[in-house]
Amino acid sequence: MSILLENHIVELLQERNDKAISLLYEHYGDTLYGVAYKVVRDEDLAQDVVQESFVKIWKKSDSYDPTKAKLFTWLFRITRNTAIDKLRSANNKSDKEIQMDVSDVYKLGTEGIIPELMDVQDNLDKIDSKYQIVLDALFFQGMTQQEASDELDIPLGTIKSRLKIGLRELKKIYGSSMVLALLLSLFMN
Amino acid sequence: MKEKIKIFLETDLLEKYLLGTTNQEEALQVERYIAMYPEVRNTYIELQENLEIFAKLHAIKTPAGLKERIQNRVKAENSIRSKFFKYAIAASFAALLFAGASYFFWNQNQSLQEENVIVNNKIQNLEENMRLQLEDVRNQFIVLNNPRTKRLTVQGNNKAKELKAVAYVNPVKKLSYINVSKLPNLPENQCYQMWAEVNGQMLNLGVIQEASNSEKLMALPYGENAVGYITIEQKGGNSSPTIENIVANISY
Repeated sequence: MSILLENHIVELLQERNDKAISLLYEHYGDTLYGVAYKVVRDEDLAQDVVQESFVKIWKKSDSYDPTKAKLFTWLFRITRNTAIDKLRSANNKSDKEIQMDVSDVYKLGTEGIIPELMDVQDNLDKIDSKYQIVLDALFFQGMTQQEASDELDIPLGTIKSRLKIGLRELKKIYGSSMVLALLLSLFMN
Repeated sequence: MKEKIKIFLETDLLEKYLLGTTNQEEALQVERYIAMYPEVRNTYIELQENLEIFAKLHAIKTPAGLKERIQNRVKAENSIRSKFFKYAIAASFAALLFAGASYFFWNQNQSLQEENVIVNNKIQNLEENMRLQLEDVRNQFIVLNNPRTKRLTVQGNNKAKELKAVAYVNPVKKLSYINVSKLPNLPENQCYQMWAEVNGQMLNLGVIQEASNSEKLMALPYGENAVGYITIEQKGGNSSPTIENIVANISY
């Protein structure tokens, strides 16, 4: 996302112009939907999460402080937390209705058979799975490093180093192509 | 100092902050480190960029209709907000009205209380007056009804021949009254005034208001060998009697 566009959206949000929502959806909708799906693993739930998140984004727009976080970081936090809350309440419900296999929640690396997800998988395959699992657990599953260490049975120090290396690798693989894609999309617009 | 930064980066505080899962105290600590140390700041920026890249890898095409649903929800939210403001305005208006009414009633209450004090005072004065008058009437009755009461007829001298008055004196009860039944007319600027000389002192008993009021008895201060005088004075009365204007005297 270009800084200019980001600033423009932030301005619109602060002016409480609902065009901001439309722009946010166009530029971040797919990503946030992906984030929501990654956490809740259910299309309907993920749609609810995105919808609720956008309402929260709109309501809390005065509380966004550009000096403290990038716009995407703020959007991600809201969506991720909404998704985790949703998942918890959905689990609570299904716990009462049918005894669901709780371990499903933390099952990593298995996506549904949605055609769109095939691309995601392709992209992710480029990252070494040992980094991917750690990033996944921390970013999407709502685990702390300690919890990830316990859950994945990996020492805490390894979790830390994998997170750092994984993130660095991510940038190495996608950093340049992302910039290129962004530049392209700017010219196309 | 380097060590301190290293230790800080070793913890997962920065990652927790990135995801918004720190508590308030931790968040303040992280924000302080970000502000103070460029290494921490750069790591935070890098983490944010990586998060965005990693999240974008998971992007899924949003289903049709979701955008419209979101826009409708946001619109509904706006109308709730504007409705809220409408209610807020109405509520403020009601509060103002209430404050105004309260002040009005408070004010009214205040003036009613003042009025109440005045009315109470008036009632007290009236009671006092009535008590005095009643006592006077009772004394009059005692004097008039008592067999020991002397009745003295008073005639005017040459200056006021038509003047007629009756004095009642009771030496037992030490009470005396006078009833002025007839007074000759005087010019506008003059009036009759009553005096009594008791124990060598001249007392001003006031202006005789109405001669026609024949039932009215005027109290005379009692004293051994007292003398009552009626004089003609300037309108409004005088502080000492004008001797040459004495029109009647009563020894009692």
